[in-house]
Amino acid sequence: MSSTRRIGGRAAAVLALILGGLLVTASPAGAAETEGACFLHAVEDAKEAGLEGTELEEHVEEEVLACTQAPSPILPEVNEIIWGAFGFLVVFGFLFWKGYPAIKGAMNDRTEKIRTDIESAESARAEAEQVLSQYHGQLADARNEAARILEEARQDADAVRTERIAAIDGEIAEMRQRAAADVEASKTQALADLRGEITALALGAAERVVERNLDDATNRALIDSYIDSVGASS
Amino acid sequence: MFALHFPPLGHIVDWPGFAGTEGAWYEVNKVVLVYLFALILTCLIFVLGNKKQLVPTGAQNLAEISVEFIDQQLIEPTVGHNERKWLPPFMLSLFFFIFFTNIFEVVPVIQMPANARIALPMFLALFSYVIYHGSGFKEHGPIGYLKHAVVPPGVPKAMLPLVMVIEFVSKFLVQPFSHTVRLFANLLAGHILLVTFAVLSAGLWTTEWYAVFLPLPAFAVVFFTAFEIMVSFLQAYVFTLLFGVYFGAAVSHEH
Repeated sequence: MSSTRRIGGRAAAVLALILGGLLVTASPAGAAETEGACFLHAVEDAKEAGLEGTELEEHVEEEVLACTQAPSPILPEVNEIIWGAFGFLVVFGFLFWKGYPAIKGAMNDRTEKIRTDIESAESARAEAEQVLSQYHGQLADARNEAARILEEARQDADAVRTERIAAIDGEIAEMRQRAAADVEASKTQALADLRGEITALALGAAERVVERNLDDATNRALIDSYIDSVGASS
Repeated sequence: MFALHFPPLGHIVDWPGFAGTEGAWYEVNKVVLVYLFALILTCLIFVLGNKKQLVPTGAQNLAEISVEFIDQQLIEPTVGHNERKWLPPFMLSLFFFIFFTNIFEVVPVIQMPANARIALPMFLALFSYVIYHGSGFKEHGPIGYLKHAVVPPGVPKAMLPLVMVIEFVSKFLVQPFSHTVRLFANLLAGHILLVTFAVLSAGLWTTEWYAVFLPLPAFAVVFFTAFEIMVSFLQAYVFTLLFGVYFGAAVSHEH
């Protein structure tokens, strides 16, 4: 790139030198021969030719007329046609060979590059949208999974709680039964103890009352039957 | 009254040679110098513009705008879809070469539009003439092209002989003439205008009372200088566009 610029700079400098030289050597932007200049030239020519008097006047008059009469502006000059044709054909040749194809090619390449870039961007965008969609899907799945796990945990907790409550209720019922049984056993024991005590008391009382002592077994049977009858009635 | 000396018409466009033998075919005068400038400037645009920046600037921008302008504003409307590789560079060459040879009308020191001389407009018009008629003959064949060119569709048979003569004269004889004169006369007229007002301004540069009128021609010189810049572009565009129109008409398969 830098070497191209250097070459371009040198070429521009050379061209500037050539053009500058041509400009300096070119005639100024004035008209062609003026009448005065023509007259002077004609007089000089006549003197060099050794003319005098009427001949000199006639010669000068003819020369000035010929000199000041500019060529017709609608008749083409051969040199201008040739140089013009040469210049145009060189320009056309250059543009056909190099100028136009290079610029057009660069423009087409850039258009193609921009089109490719746009397509790539579209493709990347579609891919990103697809990834985003997948991500959203995965996020929704994860949320569902989390909700499911929470629900399961909640259900498990409920089941554990229910189970624990049932177990505790069972234990309570068992404890109650045990307590009731204990109470009943204590009651039975107490009744038995009471009965024995009463029997002993009653035997003592009866011995004293009856003063007759039956055999022990008969006494006990008699007393038990009496107590049973008392217990049933109470 | 103002003692003005206006140079003969021929003198304001006729330049003496400064290189080469006087009167020889290779003689170089100011007009030839303008051709050389136009050649160099046109080539420079496309040499310096041959870059591949994604966002074009400077010469690249100018070159690409020109190519797009020729393709889209000149070829597409006149020729339509184009497959000829030589056509865009040819029209590009026409446009730039004419534009640069015109614009030297307003370039200081030079101040001469090369197209105010008839040689270049005539050459370009004749060259274009050969190209568009040649392409027409190639596209349609000799008889087919003559029929295509001089027989417009839908013309009553009774009118056909007259119309054919008119079409023939118009397309084969008048077209190159009008193509030449349109460019040449516009540039010559512009040059004469500028010379006229410049001579008038110089004549009024005096201590006499009528010097009060000096601002008028002086302003006219400035105004017409700007106007000539527009004319330079416009005439290059018109010449190229007309070539496109003539070429499109010659090679088209529609009437």
